[in-house]
This record gives sequence, structure tokens and C-alpha cells, in this order.
Amino acid sequence: MSTNSLATKAADEIAAWMNALGRDVDEFAAQTAELWSDRPSPLSLEPGDLPKLENLAKGFLETHSFVVGAGVIFSREAIKSNDGGLEWWIKRHESVEKLEFDLTPGGERFYDYQNMPFFAAADRTGEQTAWGPYVDYLGLDEYILTHSAPIKVEGKFAGVAGCDIRIRKLEEIFMPVLRAIPGDAALLNGSGRVVVGNSGAYLVGERIRSTPSDKSVLPIDVPHLGFSLLS
Amino acid sequence: MESFLASTTAFQAQVYRSLPETERSEAIVNRISKAIALGLLKVGERLPPESALSEMFGVAPSTLREALSDLRDQGIVTTRRGRSGGTFIVKQPFTSADAIRKWFEETSIAEIRDVGDEHAAIAAATVRLACERAESHEISRLLEHARTLVMSDKPELRARADSRFHIELAVLAQSPRLMNAEIRLQAETVQALWTPVSLTRDAERVATEHLALARAIADDSPEEAQRLVLDHIRQDIHHLVDAKLSLGYPTMQQERQ
Repeated sequence: MSTNSLATKAADEIAAWMNALGRDVDEFAAQTAELWSDRPSPLSLEPGDLPKLENLAKGFLETHSFVVGAGVIFSREAIKSNDGGLEWWIKRHESVEKLEFDLTPGGERFYDYQNMPFFAAADRTGEQTAWGPYVDYLGLDEYILTHSAPIKVEGKFAGVAGCDIRIRKLEEIFMPVLRAIPGDAALLNGSGRVVVGNSGAYLVGERIRSTPSDKSVLPIDVPHLGFSLLS
Repeated sequence: MESFLASTTAFQAQVYRSLPETERSEAIVNRISKAIALGLLKVGERLPPESALSEMFGVAPSTLREALSDLRDQGIVTTRRGRSGGTFIVKQPFTSADAIRKWFEETSIAEIRDVGDEHAAIAAATVRLACERAESHEISRLLEHARTLVMSDKPELRARADSRFHIELAVLAQSPRLMNAEIRLQAETVQALWTPVSLTRDAERVATEHLALARAIADDSPEEAQRLVLDHIRQDIHHLVDAKLSLGYPTMQQERQ
């Protein structure tokens, strides 16, 4: 096979993997939305909702071994919650536990999630988003990628459901596919940032501002996420 | 207990190492507080179960409970019952003015300069990477922290905004290691910089320097950003040295008395 067709094959494989994950994240968001489907407005997070959300998140974590965190973030305008609206669970010490955040604006370790791109972009566009690689300071405090899908209750944006994947895990997942491409190649995110590169030429986190003259960029066929393959 | 030893990091294992007989409860409180201040233990993190903790520290369960109760009274940890219960870290311990004064007394000018040297090395690399790697919309959080610095009048809020600004630079550099280094350096100096035990720091000047630095990163000017951050850190160190000296310098004469 030529370099071109090998790159196309790699892009197809990456797209298939991402689309499968995207469907599951969408499903997670839809299941979350169902909890509020028959409720009178204004909507709120009731004590009985938390165990249900925990079960959904735990189910997602169990069925996706490569995912380190999963949960939901509610829009303050759509669903009232006393705790601030960030319900997230992570794998730690070989079990699943709830991640605690400081959600008081101006608080010592305030986690300003409503301004985090994986929330703000889903709110703005009403579509799935992927944000990363980024250092999730005050959240997981690790180098991760967050994939989220909007929760829509009766057509209105009510928050996001999503999951976190460690960058080192994405490297393991995509490296075999990228190594099959001869020469330097890299998976880029929507901002042209390297997610995984198949050599030292393109390092994770670096931004590729212009395509090198001997390279081309192939879009990864995943709606809304903007990933591409440089090879 | 073994599983907790296995799952804690090498640094965290240091936190939980066994203690001398005397004042064990107080030592536990100090060690956990310090570990939080240094970022080895994080807000939101759950401490190992009491039985595992008392075994790791090598203390009686009653001693451990005394320490946890003290930490609870200070609002540093909270204990929740139930299935997902346990003792969680909820707040960074606040350093008193007395403790800051003691820090100034015990820290030599050579040591203050050396902290500055390390900070300069870390920060110079951090801002260069931030120029390369940050996206323009990510600068907004830097501007936010710079604004908070001038808007707030409380020293602890200013200290927080100052350290958040510097940590955010490392986040923009996309480096967990530089972020951890910055968190550690901030924990060492930021309260001494802002707690008004002797000289008051000019928040407006610091915020202006922060804004200029944010602009250099937005403009993708690594040379300018590096020059600004090194100047900024030199100012910090000058302030710390001046603040230390204005508290008085214990002379040999006084020590002999």
C-alpha cells in the first residue's frame, strides 16, 4: 500500500474508534436526560438522583476500561443543584470514587467548570466536544482529554455528560495505528495540537501552526470534534 | 493496608512514614497540613481508612482519631459516613502571621535567593512553552487572575490570585511536571509575599506585571515573556529580602544574651 492509502486506513480506524466512543457518550447523555424527562420545571437535582447518576457513571467506567473519569455537569440555568452541579467519578485505588471539587466562585480551589471548553463549547454548539490534551488543574490534576456530549432535556441544553481519558492511555491506543504509517505522522486535535505522534518529530501538546511542505492533513471523519491526521 | 501502600506514590509514602513517640498527634496534624500545602495531598482526596493510617504512622487508633479531630476542627478535613464515606481533605491549611514571621526569621537571604533561582529556572522554561503551546482563548484565565489580584483587598485572596496566575502559566505550557513544580514553589513563598507582617506588597504593580506577561504570551513573544517573568521573580525576591530585613536581624549580641 502507498503512504497515502496507509494514512487513509489509519484515519478510518481512528474515526471508527472515536465514533464508537462518541455514540456511547451520547447514550450516557441521553440516559442522564431521561432522569428529568417527566419532571415539572424548574428542574432540580434531587437527593434520589445522585445514586442514579453514580450508577450511570460507574457503568460507563466499567464498560470503558481506557476511561479514567466519567460524570455529568449541569448548567446552572437549567438544573438547580445545591452542590454546584458537577458530579464526576474516577477510578482510584482500584475502585471508583467521587471526585470532590471546590465549586464556590472565588473559593480557594475553585474549579470554574462552566468556563471549561468541554462545557462551554457543548453549550454554544449543542454538539459533542473533545478538549485536550490539557492539564486538568484542580480537577483530576492529570494530563487528559475530555470527551463530552450535551444533555438535552426537552430540546434545551441542560449540561454535559462526558469522560476523561489519560493522554498516556490514548498513546497506547493509537500508537499501533500510527506506527503503521511510514514516516512521521501525528493525530491532531481541532486546534492543531498533537494528541499522539508516531515519533519524536511531533510531540504531544505541541501545536502545528502550518503544515510542513512535505506533509498533508487528512480529516478524521468524526462529526464536530475536528481531529485530523498529519502524515 | 498493603494495597494502600502499593497505590500511594513514593512521595506520599514519605507523608505516611512512622513517627517518634512524642507528640504524635500534633506531628500527624503538621505532616498532613504540610503535605496539603505542598500539593502532595490534594483537596478532594480521600485519606486512607483510619486503621490503615494508624498502622502506617505507627500510632494507636486513639492518637490518630485525636489528630483527625484536630484537623476537622481546623476545617482542613471532613469525615463522611456511608458507602462512599471516609475522611476527605476539604481546605488548604491557612498559615498564621506568626508562622510567616517565623519563616522570615528562620530563612536566610541565601535560601530566599535560592528559591528565587529555582523559580526563575522553572518560570523561564514555562513561559517559553506557554507561548508556543497556548491557544489565544486560553489567555482569558490569566487575565482573570490578574484582575482578581487588583480587585481583592484581602492578602489571602491576593496570594491565591498570584499563585493561580503562575500555576496557570504551567497549565498553558501543557506540562504536569512544571505545574507541580510551580505549585510547590508557590506553596513555599506566596503567603510570605502577601501576608503583611512587615512590608505591604503593591498589588497594582504586580497585576500590571502579570498583565504584561499575559500579553506577551498572547502575542507569542517568548523572549519578551521570559524577560518579564525573570524581572517579576527578581522583584518578588527583593520584596522577600526587604520584608525579612525590616523585621529586624537577630544580631550575635542578642543571641549571646
